[in-house]
Amino acid sequence: SLVIRGEKDEQAVLCSKDKTYDMKIADTSNMLLFIPGCKTPEQLNADQASCNIIHSQIAGFSNNYWELRRCRPKLKKLRKLLMEDPYEGPDSQNDQTLTFSKYTTEDLLSLIQASEEEIMHQLQVIDACKIGGYWRILEFDYEMKLLNHVTQLIDSESWSLSKVPLRTCLEELGSLEPTEMIEHILLGYGRKYTDDGEVYFEMHEDKICRAIAQMLLQNAVKFNLSEFQEVWQQSVPEGMTTRLDQLKGLALVDRTSRPETICLLKVEDLPEDNQERFNSLFSIREKWTEEDITPYIQDLCAEKQTVGVLLTKYARSSMQNGVKVYNSRRPIS
Amino acid sequence: MVQIVISSGGAGGLAQWVLLELQGEVEPRQSGGLAGSLLGDLHYTREGVPVLIVGHHILYGRVVQLEKPFAVLVKRGGGEAEPAEPHAHYAVTALIKTKLLFKTRPKPIITNVPKKV
Repeated sequence: SLVIRGEKDEQAVLCSKDKTYDMKIADTSNMLLFIPGCKTPEQLNADQASCNIIHSQIAGFSNNYWELRRCRPKLKKLRKLLMEDPYEGPDSQNDQTLTFSKYTTEDLLSLIQASEEEIMHQLQVIDACKIGGYWRILEFDYEMKLLNHVTQLIDSESWSLSKVPLRTCLEELGSLEPTEMIEHILLGYGRKYTDDGEVYFEMHEDKICRAIAQMLLQNAVKFNLSEFQEVWQQSVPEGMTTRLDQLKGLALVDRTSRPETICLLKVEDLPEDNQERFNSLFSIREKWTEEDITPYIQDLCAEKQTVGVLLTKYARSSMQNGVKVYNSRRPIS
Repeated sequence: MVQIVISSGGAGGLAQWVLLELQGEVEPRQSGGLAGSLLGDLHYTREGVPVLIVGHHILYGRVVQLEKPFAVLVKRGGGEAEPAEPHAHYAVTALIKTKLLFKTRPKPIITNVPKKV
């Protein structure tokens, strides 16, 4: 069956098992009458001999109807809810009794305007895990602590980054952290596979480098780009190479300032609504190249919609030093 | 937050209704509302063209297969009149896949044309 979801101050959406639709009322100047059991010409017998009069009742009439338009699920709220009480580890005092800001799957279904499958998929995307029946996001420092345990172990054991054994990790690190957490961090930052009956992980170089960059960038407003790149490369595990394109949607490079700088800008912190997102981006920077702005608007694209279509609709283009740039269509206060 | 379920009926298929679309408005001949009154007669020609006679007007229309079919929903529960069902939900009563569209101007049926003397 289908479910209509929404708080009193939200616009109603209709959810199937795996899709979300905006609900709109469509008006027509025509009158629509609905007749149960009314027959169409194909259904009536062309027999001339019998002349029947069928009495049909009009069940009702209307000038408007509900229309459904497929839309992006409204998932920003999911992260917001889970960030109310991030998991800081088993030693943290916070976790003991508070349950009002902790959410089960059922809770989420009644709070998020999205279909169940879309919600479950997003939980996986944001690396949420179930602890004690509740969905939790790890607090960033705790997450880095867990990652650090794993990368240090990989280093001391001289394992290949593409063949990290689960069993040994749990044995060596199980005394430091809960085994579920160790496995969770491996699942979040690696690809699980089996070889000869043993479970291994192929570590995601890009994701690890990206997380370490976030850890460095969140300590200051802006960084000198070349200094940052040096510290960053030194901070990642041996064998990994840092690249600026690993930071798409996480950090913004300013190549017009002298010296060049880099700062943290996370796409998930920006507004969900299209117009608000563009307003926000244009108030951060007046003119954007397509390359710079794409990671920050990619998630706004509907099915089969391109970034180019969005830019045409919400921005105005011009040339600057031979490069095409985009700015706001209207003045930003 | 509100979660309103829309469910389709149990076993068996859903009833198929037909939509009749008219341009303009239908008004009762006498005051008092439309309920219970006769709208008119619907005929089909041998070619399958729907013909509607309302009062002393005749309208010709056509049968249209709807690109986006409609579902007819009936609201249940949630009101004071139904304390047994506190939460509102909708039940799909019928599907509409066809409509009879009448958009040509109604023609008056003149039965008595006085002869010129």
